[in-house]
Formats: sequence, structure tokens, C-alpha cells
Amino acid sequence: MKIGIDYLPFLIPLIILQVGLTAAALIHILRHKTYKHGNRLLWVIASFINIIGPVLYFVFGKEDD
Amino acid sequence: MKAYIALIKKEARENWRTYKTPLLVAVFILFGVISPLFAKLMPEILKQLATTGVKITLPPPTALDSWAQFFKNMRQMGLLVLVILFSGTVATEFTRGTLINLLTKGLPRRTVILAKFTMTTVLWTSAYALSVAITTAYTAYYWTMPTYHHLILTFSGPWLFGLLLISLLILGGICFTTTIGSLLTCGGAVILMTLINIVPTWQASNPLTLITQNLALLTGKLAVGDFWPAALVAVGAIVISLGSSIIIFDRRAI
Amino acid sequence: MPILTLEHVTKRFGRQMVLNDLNLIVPEGRIFGFLGENGAGKTTTMKLILGLLRADQGVIKVNGEPVTFGQTTTNRLIGYLPDVPAFYDYMRPQEYLQLCGEISGLSKDCLNQRSTELLTHVGLANTHQKIGGFSRGMKQRLGIAQALLNEPRLLICDEPTSALDPVGRLEILDILQQLKGQTTVFFSTHVLADVERICDEIAILHAGKIALTGQIDDLKAKHATHHLRVKFATTAELNQFISLGWSDFQTDLVSFSVTLTAPDILKLEMTVMQALATQQLTPISLERTAPTLEQLFMEVVQ
Repeated sequence: MKIGIDYLPFLIPLIILQVGLTAAALIHILRHKTYKHGNRLLWVIASFINIIGPVLYFVFGKEDD
Repeated sequence: MKAYIALIKKEARENWRTYKTPLLVAVFILFGVISPLFAKLMPEILKQLATTGVKITLPPPTALDSWAQFFKNMRQMGLLVLVILFSGTVATEFTRGTLINLLTKGLPRRTVILAKFTMTTVLWTSAYALSVAITTAYTAYYWTMPTYHHLILTFSGPWLFGLLLISLLILGGICFTTTIGSLLTCGGAVILMTLINIVPTWQASNPLTLITQNLALLTGKLAVGDFWPAALVAVGAIVISLGSSIIIFDRRAI
Repeated sequence: MPILTLEHVTKRFGRQMVLNDLNLIVPEGRIFGFLGENGAGKTTTMKLILGLLRADQGVIKVNGEPVTFGQTTTNRLIGYLPDVPAFYDYMRPQEYLQLCGEISGLSKDCLNQRSTELLTHVGLANTHQKIGGFSRGMKQRLGIAQALLNEPRLLICDEPTSALDPVGRLEILDILQQLKGQTTVFFSTHVLADVERICDEIAILHAGKIALTGQIDDLKAKHATHHLRVKFATTAELNQFISLGWSDFQTDLVSFSVTLTAPDILKLEMTVMQALATQQLTPISLERTAPTLEQLFMEVVQ
């Protein structure tokens, strides 16, 4: 992998943020039983859709505590 | 003034505790990183796609490609995320009835609108600036930066367009008291601007210019004078949106 | 000067006339019960007083100042507890009172002292959880705390007890009763027992107008008639008693009882006891039924 090293400065923050966002959404989804809109399956799938999925979940899926 | 500051603090706390601030910052850092990455990867991607033996020779990517990616990401995703995140800022106050306690304490209604606009603007400005700074850092690290024209004006474009969208979200929320209402008002306005863009003579004063012509301005293909009308129209539209929000809200029974 | 007056207030929603030339005076310092059936227009009246709705006609004055719709400066004199108070779920009670106080323009020291005092008063001083996790009763108590924060001259409560369990109800009534003398309390309800417990004065809203208003004791004395209920063990005894020829009576065959009505309750009671003695009748019970607010209310509403 010759491109590896060259892209490392990009990949590290990118992976941290992307994985972080998806993980945060997933944890929240699995810890809650009810959602403002949609159901668990929908939001689990959605949380993997690049960055817009987690954002959509926290705006339209997450119930106010 | 005291009430305005109190509401600003309330908005700041709300955006933080409902995860809007962290999400906005995370997403805009991401955009800052992705833009130069895509510019750098583009030749590789095209090479992978052209496997039929056709030899494509591409010029190596430049700093300008990085900025092209940046403006494209802002236009397509950045503004969308902004709109989605703050689509409920006015509507939830109405649907949950949370303003009643505050208004019956003598809070002027316009303060609600002004505080919301201020706080959302502060968040949007910070997130956008962060994104610009990150892309600048990467671009400077990987490429040599040529001298750009009208740097500040170019980067103000998407920012100002963002402010326009925020003011439309507030107007939509006040008029329809629902999140969908806010989203549709924004969407409707963008569609309207896209339609207006069909008429060539109107393009110059269309706020859409603020997010489509950035590269042309940066390279000096577009003169400053061609950018100003759109900016002025956008500022006018923001003032009108906020003004009519205040007037409509003052007359609304709640 | 009365703290609150409504003069010829009219409000329509579309074709429906909710308030029709309503007049009301609330003197300062009272606990004033605002009665009416569900949908009679109690909440509408309150929202008009708070400037949240615009009256079609009429003038509302708070402490002599007219109420204006939209920018309502008279609200600085008022504390309001909505029927279901809505808060920001992500805040803690202390933070919420902080926000309310800053909006009301209280000074920092005053606000800190006042909010601690009030939270203790409503029993939320040691509650540090977010409001989102509150029970209804807790929200109602926080609602009272926020309404009293700016030491209002007039406290308006919209059905403060109707959504609560008996314990929660008593807590709220106690809190309201303790305000007597400091603040005028104007509260709406359809629970007559609550009114009888704490109010000095009432108004009954019916068909868009105030059908009856005044001090409870005066109203009872003036409007309700006196009753005497005589209960027997068998139908035979009941019939024997009825056959004596009473002028104004109602029989209840299920419980073998008869309820007699006369303007002078003492004289009636004497007559009944004499009649029972001569007829050798022994009732299971003989009781005076005091005029209740409920009878008063039913009389007005029907």
C-alpha cells in the first residue's frame, strides 16, 4: 500500500470522526426503545449512511430525554 | 438586553445538550478534511474506473482542485446539514408550548427571534470558519498555494448563504409552527432561486451565485462587481425574513 | 383598586362565541375560584388576561392598566401557571428558574435567594435531575415556583390540580393557601371540593358570561335552599311518613329516604320530629344536608 503513508494525515481524523459519529448514534439508538419518528431497524441502518445518517437520527429520531 | 442575554445562554445550552453543537462541529471538521482528500484521490479514482485499457493522463491535482471540492461539499452537504440541524429550533418551542412561561414573564417576542438568529449564526460561523481553516491547512501542506483573488469575499459567499437559510428556517417556523414548515420554506426558496437562475440576466443578482461562482471569483475570472448584487440581495432577504418573522410573531395568538 | 377587571369582553373562535360580554372584578388579596364546565372558556379568559389571545371586544385591566395583545407589559405583575406547564426538558429546575428570573429582570442576588426559597417551598430543593424526568406533580410544583418567581401581584393558575393524584392535589392546594395575604390567586377549576377548601370568592362562568359571582358564604346563604333528609328502614314506614302531607319533598325509593325542603330549617326539623313521635316512626337517620357548592353550581349551570 504505497498510498497509505501519504494519506495518513487525512485518514486518522476522518476515521475517528466518521466512526465516532456512527458509534455515538448507534449507542444512543440501542439504549433507547422509543423514537420520535421511525423504528430501531431504520435508524440502525441509517446511522451507517455517511455523516448525514447520524445527523438525521439525532434530529428526527432521538426522543427528548 | 438582559432578557436577550438570558435567551442567548438558553440557546447555547439547548444546542449543546441536544447535541446540535457537537454534531455541527464534527460534521464541519469532517468536511474540512474530506475536501482536500477528494481532490488528491480524484486521479486515482478515475484510474480505477477506466480499466478498459484506455490510458487517461490527468494533470496532477492542484490547490484549486482542493478548493473546488470544498465549495462543492459546502453547497451539497454542508448547507443541508445546517438546515436539518436547526430545522426545529423555532417549531419545537411552539409544538411543546415552552414559550408560554417565558412570554408571560414579559419577554418581548422579538427577543426570541433575535436570540435564536444570533446563536445559530454564531454556531454556523464558527463551524464554517473551522472547516475553512482545516481545508486551508491541508491544502497548504500538500500543494503550493497560488495567490488568490478576493479571498474574503469568496469565502463569505457560502457563509452569507447559510445566514439566509437560517433566517428562512426561522420565518418558516414562525409561519407554520412545524419543523416541516421550516424545511419546506428553505427548500421552496432554494427551488425558487434555481428557477430564477434560468433567466441569464437575473443570475447576477441571484443569491445562488454566492455558492456557485466561488471558484470563478477566486481565480479572478469573475470581478468583484459581479458578486456584490447577489450578496446585497441575500442581505436584503435576510432582513426581510427576520423583519416579517417579528411582525408575524407579534400578531400570532398562542 | 381591584387587581383584575374584565369589562364587556367578547371572544369568538370562527363562528363559535366563547365569551359573550363577560364582566368580572377580582379584588386584591383574595383566593378567587373561577368555575365552569369543561369548555366553558376558562382557559380562553386566562389567555386573554395574559395577552396571549386578542379580545374581539372589551377591556381587560390588571391593576388599572389595560392589557395589550402581543407586547403585554401588564404581565410583569402576573405569575401564570398553565394547565400543563411546558419546560425545557434538558434543563435542571435551578437552571430553569435562573432563566425565568433573568427574563423578569431580577437582580442576581435576589434571584439566587428567591429561587432557592421557592424550590424549598415546593419541595424541589434537592432535585438535581433534568426536568425531562419529572413526574406531573413535580412539573406542577416547578410551575408554581416559576410563576411566583417575580413576586407577582396576581397569580393565575389554570386547573392546577386536575391532572394530579390526591396527594399531589393536596400539596398544590396547600401551597396556594399559604399565599393568602401576599398574592391574589385567580384559579380555574371544575373540582368544586378544591374551591370549597381554599377560596374566599368565586365566579361561575356559563354560556360565555359570569353567571354568578361573590363570596362563597354569601352566595350559599343567598342561593341555596335548606334540606332535611329522613331515611327509613322499610318502604312501609317511608310511605306512612310521606302520607302525612309535606309541601316540598323528594323521595328516593332505593334508599327509602325522603328529602324535605323549607326556608326555615329549624322549624322544619322541629315539625318533622314531632310528626315522627306522634306517628311512632323511627327513622334510621335524620340529617341536615348543608347547601353545597355543587348544588349552587348545578343551579346556575342548568
